Amino acid sequence: MDKKVAIVGFRMKSAPDLVTTRERLTFELTRGLFDDLGIDRTAVDTTIFSTNDFLDGRTISNVFLDGPAGAYMRDESKVEMDGINALMYAVIRILSGQYSTAMVVALGLTGSQVSPYLHVEYQLSPVYDRQMRLLNELSAAAFQARSYLARYGYSEKLLDEVAAQALSNAAANPNQARKIPGASAEQVASSSPYYEPLRELHCYPPTDGGCAMLLASAERAKELTDKPVWVLGMGQSIETFYLGERDLAKSPSTAQAAQRAYEMAGIRDPKAEIDLAEISALFAHQEPLLAEALGLLEEGKAEEAYRSGDTAISGKMPLNPSGGALGGHPISATGIIRTAEAVRQLRGEAGDNQVGKAEVAVVHGQDGPCAQQNAVLVLGI
Amino acid sequence: MEETRVVNATWDISTFKFRIEGFGINNMLKKMKEAKLLGNRCHQCGTVYLPANFYCRKCHIAIHEPAEISDHGEVMSYTIGYADVRGNPLDEPRVSLMVKLDGSDTWIMGAGEDMKPEDVHIGMRVKVKWAEQRVGNLQDMESFIPE
Repeated sequence: MDKKVAIVGFRMKSAPDLVTTRERLTFELTRGLFDDLGIDRTAVDTTIFSTNDFLDGRTISNVFLDGPAGAYMRDESKVEMDGINALMYAVIRILSGQYSTAMVVALGLTGSQVSPYLHVEYQLSPVYDRQMRLLNELSAAAFQARSYLARYGYSEKLLDEVAAQALSNAAANPNQARKIPGASAEQVASSSPYYEPLRELHCYPPTDGGCAMLLASAERAKELTDKPVWVLGMGQSIETFYLGERDLAKSPSTAQAAQRAYEMAGIRDPKAEIDLAEISALFAHQEPLLAEALGLLEEGKAEEAYRSGDTAISGKMPLNPSGGALGGHPISATGIIRTAEAVRQLRGEAGDNQVGKAEVAVVHGQDGPCAQQNAVLVLGI
Repeated sequence: MEETRVVNATWDISTFKFRIEGFGINNMLKKMKEAKLLGNRCHQCGTVYLPANFYCRKCHIAIHEPAEISDHGEVMSYTIGYADVRGNPLDEPRVSLMVKLDGSDTWIMGAGEDMKPEDVHIGMRVKVKWAEQRVGNLQDMESFIPE
């Protein structure tokens, strides 16, 4: 997919508590985006929301947000999954030739107004898992972490090192919610135990946040920005919901989604051709697990990769230079925020988080328990 | 800007009814009264499912072959819980196991009993502890205990 659809602008915001309403956050993100680009709402051909009805406390919750997003009497719809899926839907609409622009708006107020870990409890099978009363988002993630560590004989210290790197990167990033300057592996290892081997700082923090992003056709993109970032490839894949039928130590659906995206983008050797990755790792173990599935880390070599600094901002394969989802996970918006962070890198606007060479980036988003559904984007300049 | 305010809002959802699949989970629950585990096997690829499923995930065909599964198996993954999902600390650490029972290709979950958290490990052999009074529901399988 050669330079047909571009990301032309975005606005994002995250904090433990934004002290705002869903409507006002939607209004501020979209109004700000239009002002940045010097356009008004009539320049948006279609708006696609990504929000979660359960977390919004009302069904078909986008019906409250079309006004604040400027979509009154316009073309509007919603994806009830991570926002990266809404973004793919936006790309497809532009590729259809019927739309020259598409806006994605994703948000979740899971820091201040609803407890984040609960949503997976309500996602479980009501006639099986829920009745067993053992599974929740944290215990499911702990099973996955344990399986992953055992497969390669990794020490639990790997989790502390992954989290310390992510939290240090997040502390330098003005867009992140969780700020722990100079976070160390020791500090992570002494945070509260949740479900062994996971501790508080291995897990994503309750976060308020959102992102609005405008995509455009090649022709329209040139009118809107001097710094378009191109969508070069994308892919998705889904595994079974039931954890007992999955190989929790690996993510075959991520590998398959990546293969599709790389093929579309003409990438043959991801380790050599990709300059950075923004991965929706909600728990520390998921970052190396998903990076292996994305073909960015060699299987079984995660400990060396983190210890040698290869995965750091200055390393040869920077993973989550933004700090990733351990710095903030406003549920529904996380995949779009990862995309926005990759766009900052590719435009050379990532400040203290900027990696050296940034020409091709891979972005990952997930949905469902233990990354059941995975989506991969390849972006380039 | 005017100050925002947080108010309590409610979303009470009445109890839902769920019809459950006869050949799948309902057969399994009925058999649990006899302290036995009934899964099923795909006649095409041979995958044995427990909890029972009425179709094969991989072949996408309806499956009809029941498969008795042992109540002994191996720990495939585990976690020790120190807090509930709302962040409240538990009185005692809670062992949860994912177990692959002999004869099944899938894993089931259960609480671990009669084992110290520090002794739990992947590959450990365990067996189902059945409830004395079984009624044909998931609580018939009380926990897993060391073999």
